[in-house]
Amino acid sequence: MHNKSMEGSKRISTVITYAALILGSVIMIFPFVWMILTSSKTVSESMQIPPTIFPSRLMTDNFSEALKSLPFINMYANTILMIIFRVIFAVFFSSMAGYAFAKLKFKGKNFLFSIVLMQMMLPSQIFIIPQYQMVAKLGFANTVAALVFPGLVSAFGTFFLRQAYLAIPEEVGEAAYLDGCNQWQTFTKIMFPLTRSSVAALTVFTAVFAYSDLMWPLVVNSDLNMMTLSSGLATLRGQFSTNFPVLMAGSLLAMLPMVILYLFFQKQFIEGIAMTGGK
Amino acid sequence: MNSGKISTAAKQEQAWGYLMVAPTIIGLLILNVWPFIQTIYASFCEHLGFGHYKFIGLDNYINMFQDTDFWRATGNTLLFCILTVPVGIFLSLLVAILLNARVRFKGGFRTIFFLPMVCAPAAVTMVWRWIFNSEYGILNQIFGIRVAWVTDSRVALLSCAIVAIWSAIGYDAVLLLSGLQNISKSYYEASSIDGAGKITQFFKITLPMISPTLFVTMIMRLMTSLKVYDLIYMMVEETNPALTSVQSLIYLFYRESFVAGSRGSGSAIAVWTVLIIGIATVFQFIGQKKWVNYEV
Amino acid sequence: MKKISRITAIILVLLLLMFSLAGCGASDGKTHLTFQIWDVYQRPGMQAMCDAYTAQHPDVVIEVQATSWNEYWTKLEAAAESNTMPDIFWMHTNQLLYYADFGMLADVTHLYDDVDPDYYEKHFSEISINNASGSDGNLYGVPKDKDNGHLVYNKEMFDAAGVDYPDDDWTWDDLVSASEQIYNVTGKYGFMAYNDDQLGYWPFAYQAGGYILSEDKTTAGYTQPASVKGIEFYVGMQDYDWCPSQTYFTETTPATAFFSEVGSMYMEGNWNLPQLMENYPEMRGKWDIAKLPKCPDPLSGDGRATMSNGLCYSTAAHGKQLETALDVIRFFGTEEAQRIQGENGAAIPAYLGTEETWRSAFDSYDETLDLDIIFEQFDYAVQAVYNSASPKWKSQVLDQLTKVYAGEQDLMEGLENMQQIVDTETAKKLADE
Repeated sequence: MHNKSMEGSKRISTVITYAALILGSVIMIFPFVWMILTSSKTVSESMQIPPTIFPSRLMTDNFSEALKSLPFINMYANTILMIIFRVIFAVFFSSMAGYAFAKLKFKGKNFLFSIVLMQMMLPSQIFIIPQYQMVAKLGFANTVAALVFPGLVSAFGTFFLRQAYLAIPEEVGEAAYLDGCNQWQTFTKIMFPLTRSSVAALTVFTAVFAYSDLMWPLVVNSDLNMMTLSSGLATLRGQFSTNFPVLMAGSLLAMLPMVILYLFFQKQFIEGIAMTGGK
Repeated sequence: MNSGKISTAAKQEQAWGYLMVAPTIIGLLILNVWPFIQTIYASFCEHLGFGHYKFIGLDNYINMFQDTDFWRATGNTLLFCILTVPVGIFLSLLVAILLNARVRFKGGFRTIFFLPMVCAPAAVTMVWRWIFNSEYGILNQIFGIRVAWVTDSRVALLSCAIVAIWSAIGYDAVLLLSGLQNISKSYYEASSIDGAGKITQFFKITLPMISPTLFVTMIMRLMTSLKVYDLIYMMVEETNPALTSVQSLIYLFYRESFVAGSRGSGSAIAVWTVLIIGIATVFQFIGQKKWVNYEV
Repeated sequence: MKKISRITAIILVLLLLMFSLAGCGASDGKTHLTFQIWDVYQRPGMQAMCDAYTAQHPDVVIEVQATSWNEYWTKLEAAAESNTMPDIFWMHTNQLLYYADFGMLADVTHLYDDVDPDYYEKHFSEISINNASGSDGNLYGVPKDKDNGHLVYNKEMFDAAGVDYPDDDWTWDDLVSASEQIYNVTGKYGFMAYNDDQLGYWPFAYQAGGYILSEDKTTAGYTQPASVKGIEFYVGMQDYDWCPSQTYFTETTPATAFFSEVGSMYMEGNWNLPQLMENYPEMRGKWDIAKLPKCPDPLSGDGRATMSNGLCYSTAAHGKQLETALDVIRFFGTEEAQRIQGENGAAIPAYLGTEETWRSAFDSYDETLDLDIIFEQFDYAVQAVYNSASPKWKSQVLDQLTKVYAGEQDLMEGLENMQQIVDTETAKKLADE
C-alpha cells in the first residue's frame, strides 16, 4: 500500500515537472516563433484585428527589404572578426594577469587588483566618448580595429582566470620551479594548459558579450558597412520605425549565425557559461 | 648567501609579476580609470560645449538632488533590481531544479531556455515590443485585455523587467544547474532515510550547498541590473509618455550627457550610480557571511 | 626567453593584422577625405557628387560614410573636441549655431568671391542662406537642400467615404470634417496628429498667425494668442475619436499606421517620400500628397504655412585637409553638383532653378504623386525654428507637450512652461557668448 502511494506521488511530481518545463519552454520559444511568423506578413496583415496567426503566404519581400537596407555580409564579417580578436586579446592578456595575480608575489598586488575589481563596477557608457576620442586620435575610427579597441583588455577575464589559477595547488608551480622552469615557462608550459576549460568559458563569455554590444559600434564606426550585427539591427529600427514585419525579418537574419553556432557548439557554450559561476 | 639567492628569485618573481599584469593594468588605466577620473572631475563642472568645462563646485549635485526626475530614475533602477534579481533568480533556480530532476530531453530544454542569450538585444527588444503592442500585440489579443504594456507608466517598468528576466533566465539557470550537479547524491539519500521530505531537503541540503553559486549569480545579476541601459533604451524611446517612470540612472545619464550635452550634470549621475553599485556590492559581501556556505 | 620572443612575435603579428584590417593604408599619394552623412537613402546621391568631383580631381579620394542620426551628433561633438572631425559633413540648422558660435566650422562666406561676390544671394533662397548662417551673419556651410512638410492621404479611403480629395483651398475645418466622415464610414482613422514640432504643431501655430521664435530668435512665442490658437487646434485633434492617442503613436508611428491602411491622413516631410514609395510597393497608387490645410480665420496673415528646413555642407575650421575639403564643398554648391543631387533623388536641391530635378526620384514608378504642391508650398514656407540654444531646449519642450497630451497639465500651463524653457535657455546661451 505504502509503496503504491509513493509511486503515485512520484508520478504526479514527474507530471508537474514536465508540465512546468513545457510551459516554460513555450514561453521561452514563443517570441521566436512569433518573430518567424511576423517576418512573413505584410504590414497591413500584421496589424489586423483579430490577428492572423499564420501569414497568408510565405513572403520573402521583408527579407529582401532588410537585405537591401543593411549590408549583412559585411556585418557578419565584422562581427566575426571583432569576436575573434576580442577573444584572443582577452584570453592572452587576462591569462597573464590572472596568473600573476594568483601565483606571483609582488609589491602593490592588492592595489593593482583593486583596479581590476573597480572596473567591473563602472558602467561602460561613461567610457564611450573618451574611448571614441582615443580611437579617432589614433586614426582608426570606422575600422574593425576600432570595434575591438575596448576589448583589448578584460577586467572580468582577469578576475575570472585569477580564480582558475587560484584553484591550482601551489605544489604544481613548485614542482615546475624545481624542474628548472622560469616563471614564464611555468606559466606557458604548466599552468596555462591547466586552465583550458576556464579559457573556453571565457571565450564563450567574451564572444556573447561582444556580440551583444550595442552602443560602441554605433558610435565608433560611422558607416553601416563597418557595423556589427547588433548595432546594424538597431539602425534598421531607425529606418523602418514600427514596420514590424521588416524588423522581424532583419532580426532573424542577424540572429541566424549566432544561433547556428550555438546549436552546433551548445555543449561548449553551456559548459562555458556554467564555469563562469565559479566555486 | 642563501638569503641573497632567495631575494634574487623573489626579485625576479616580482619583475615577472609586473611584466605580466602590465598590459592589463596599463590598458585599464588608459581605457577605464582615466575616463572615470575625468568623469568625476566633470561632475564638478558645467560643460560649456566641445570639452570646455567651467568649475562650479557642488552645483551639479545640488541640482541633481533637487530634481524629481533624478529621484524617479534612482527609484526606477532600484525597482528594476527588485523585480529582476529576486524574481529572476527564483525562477532561474526553479528551472535549474526542474532540469536537475531526471527528465528526458534535458539537453533540448536547456537549449531552449538558453536561446535568448545568443540573440542580439536589439532583436529581443523588437520582438517583445511587437508582442506587447497594445493595439495589435498578440499578448493582449490572446488574453483579451487592453494593457498598454510599454506606454502605460504603471506597467512599463514591469514589461522591461519581464524582458530582462526572459533574456537572463537561461544563463542564470545554467549557472545554478552546474552548482546543483556538484551536490553529491549521497546527501539526499541519507536524508531520505531519515524521512526528510522534498521541501525539507531543499532548505536543508540544496540551498546551503548551492549558496556560493547563488551568491555569484546574484552579484552578477545585481550589477547588470543596476547598470541597465540598453534594454530600457530599446524598449522605451524618448518620446514615450512613460519615459520618466521607466528610465534608469544610466538612461538619464545618457540623455543628459549625450542628448542634451550637459555632461557636467550627466557625470554627477554617473558618479552617483557608481556609488550605489559600490554600496550594493559591499552590502552583498557583508550579507553573504550570513547565508553563504563555503564549508562543503 | 625564446618562448617570450615567440609570444611577442605572435602578439605583434596580431596587432599588425588588426591594424592592417583598419585599412589605414593611405600610401597611394592621394588626398583621402571622409564625408559623413546621416541618411543611408541619400548615399547614392552623395556618392554620385563625389564621383563627379574626383573625375575632375583624380588625386582626391572621398569616402562617404552614412551613420544614424542619434550617433551622428554624439560622435561629431566628440570628434570636434579632439579635432578629428570628418573632412566634410552635413550640418543641421538645429546644431549649426552651436558649432559655428564655438568656432568649430570653417567660414565659407567668401568661398565663391572669385566667381561672383553675390553667389549665395543669387543662387539660394533666403531661407537656405539663413539655415547656413552663424549668429555673426557669416556663412558656415554651403546650402545643400530644402524641404517642407505636407499632407499625405489615402485615396481609397476618401473614395469610400465619399469625400473630395484635399485641394488648395482646404482649411482646418475641412480636415476635421473629412476625418470625421472617413472614420464614420470606413472605421479608419482620420488625420493622425502626432506629437512632433516640425511635422506637428509648428506649422499650425504659424498658420494661425503666431510664431514659435521671434524674428531675432531671442524670445519664444508660445503664449502669443495666435500661437495658442494654432497649437490648441493641433493638440485638440487628439480628443476626436478619429485621431489615435499619443500612446498609440509610440507603438505605431503615423507612417506605419498609414501604410498598413489603418489611418487615412498624416503629415510627412517630402524627404521621406522616395523611400516610402520604395518600401511599400503594395501601396503605390493608393495614396497621394496635398498641401497642408490653411487656417480659416487666422489672427494675421493668409492662414498658410509649412515649415521648411535645409541642410548644408560644412567642414571643420581647423581640418587637416582644409584646402581640399573647401574645394569639394565649393563644388557641392555649384549648379552641376546640385543637379546631380536632385537627379539621384537624394533631396530637393537648394540651388535655385534646379529644384525640379528631384522629380526624377520617382521616375522608376508608374504611379505618380502630385509633386507640384511641394514646389508651390515653398512660396509661403517658414524657416524651421532654431537658435543657438536649440539643442538645450528642443527635447525639454517636447517633454512639456508630452505632459499636456498625457493630461498631466493643461495646455496653457504647458505653453507657459515651454515659453519659459526657451526664454531661459536662450538668455543663458546669449549671456555665455
